[in-house]
Amino acid sequence: MFFRMIEKERLPDLIRGLSTEFEVVGPVAKGDKFVFAPIDDPADMRLDYDTTILPPKKWFFPPEETMMRFRVADNEVVDDEVYAPPRVLFGLHPCDINSLQLMDNVFFGAYIDPYYRARRENTLIVGLSCVPSETCFCNAWGTDEAHWGFDIFLSDVGDEYFASIRSVSGAELVDRHVKTREITDNDTRRFQERTAAFKAAFENHVDTSQLPLLIDAKFESPIWDQLGEKCLACGACSMVCPTCYCYDVHDELEPDQTMGRRVRTWDSCQFKDFAAVAHGQNFRDSRASRIKYRYYHKQWGYLSKFERVLCVGCGRCSRACKAGINPVKVIEALQTGVVS
Amino acid sequence: MAPRVVVLSLASDFGCQVQITNTEDHLLTILGLIELSYWQLASSGHMPDEYDVAIVEGAVTTDEHAHLLRDVRGKAAVVIAIGACATIGGIPALAGSGSLADRYATVYGDGVIVPAVRRAPAPVDSVIHVDYHVPGCPIDQSEFLRVLSRVLLGLVDHTPDMTMCGSCKIAENVCFFDSGVGCLGLVTRAGCGAKCPSLGRPCTGCRGIAPDANVVSALEVFERAGGGADALRSALDVYNTASEVHV
Repeated sequence: MFFRMIEKERLPDLIRGLSTEFEVVGPVAKGDKFVFAPIDDPADMRLDYDTTILPPKKWFFPPEETMMRFRVADNEVVDDEVYAPPRVLFGLHPCDINSLQLMDNVFFGAYIDPYYRARRENTLIVGLSCVPSETCFCNAWGTDEAHWGFDIFLSDVGDEYFASIRSVSGAELVDRHVKTREITDNDTRRFQERTAAFKAAFENHVDTSQLPLLIDAKFESPIWDQLGEKCLACGACSMVCPTCYCYDVHDELEPDQTMGRRVRTWDSCQFKDFAAVAHGQNFRDSRASRIKYRYYHKQWGYLSKFERVLCVGCGRCSRACKAGINPVKVIEALQTGVVS
Repeated sequence: MAPRVVVLSLASDFGCQVQITNTEDHLLTILGLIELSYWQLASSGHMPDEYDVAIVEGAVTTDEHAHLLRDVRGKAAVVIAIGACATIGGIPALAGSGSLADRYATVYGDGVIVPAVRRAPAPVDSVIHVDYHVPGCPIDQSEFLRVLSRVLLGLVDHTPDMTMCGSCKIAENVCFFDSGVGCLGLVTRAGCGAKCPSLGRPCTGCRGIAPDANVVSALEVFERAGGGADALRSALDVYNTASEVHV
């Protein structure tokens, strides 16, 4: 990794330069919220965004995608190409960069997912430092820092960005498209000061001491029933989660019934039919069992396999849940035995 | 042999039949897969005596409707209910929110007697078993085509049972509750891709209350932001009066 300083007013040069080679996707305003969307004009990019409604996972694992098209008459696959244009995701916060690495563990696991891989390999990541919002709790998991998983990371140190350049592609793009200068000791000092101010700005301080053991010990706790009573079973938490990767697959035929497509869509463990199987059985029929499953998977099951919890503290679920259920409150309930 | 299909209407504005007509790109393709024996909106003929599939639009509002449905069920191997009126009672069911006599008095003046054959409006499956449902007001053409495909393949009905919020998040809509506006997406059956919120309007519940909805918790959400319990009740009245959910 090497480092450069970029003047803020020169950043549009980099974005415009990237646009000549890639589709550039970045945070833009939608009402009083933000979404990741293709950028035409660097001025549309809202680098002051707090978070986005959907996380960047949609650019690797779309909410709905055609896996293949097939001919009904002879069951032949006629098209299984993956659409993966060269793309730059610009302005990802550390939580989201970390979330992609948690997704990689799954999609690049024993069975490599060719759809995810094609997009992942064709996408560069430009990270951006942030300011904690009232829903952020990435500090609980150490996902408030991103050390790898990006090509370029821009830390805002006032009138300049302290740019960490991780990959050869990132270095080439910076060289090609924007004027930079070498870093000095003073710049690293400004970087450290920014980091300290960032760490001090968190409102949420979640105590995660012995959480895996605690959650294991609380398997029969009444808090799950209480959370089940509140849960709207709407699945919004899963959709907005940067680390939820569950999907459903179904086939549908075109109107003439001669051609079909196999479709993959985002699924949620909070939907009743998620754990329904043949013969009308359902392993998680109640909302209480489903919300418990969600937390056990994220805080225990994934951890036991990959030594990381399946949460990056982005706070999107806290914003999306109209019933007020979120990891901060659930962890609190595990500790106190009371659902607030 | 292509299945013989009839399309008929009870109490409704025929909007869902119009939607079938509007599937212009695929209409001829569909007609090539079935034998259309009767289409109330588009033909001047009469219902044949034999058919395989009955597509029913509209709510049951009279004894005659109920008789007709029982006759249809006796003949058709498959019954498909289309639209809010047929699947959940829809807007016609508003007439049943109070006593029918009071409604008649309000609309036609005092002293008008409710004909004996009138009933409180109700969905088709209040009278007969329905095999497939296409919810919505009006129906979505592509959903109708998907259901028709399932009928032709002999697959079971697969109407989504979850609520709308998940698909509304996928559409990246700004949630109405965040600005204190109530939205029935919280309890309404998914499957339309959150069309109305995507166009800037709160969900009005035309697809009916989702079987998996948590109405009690939704009521609390409405009380915190979104106009309170009365707002939820009156919003539900528009399409869901006939549903047996009390809030």
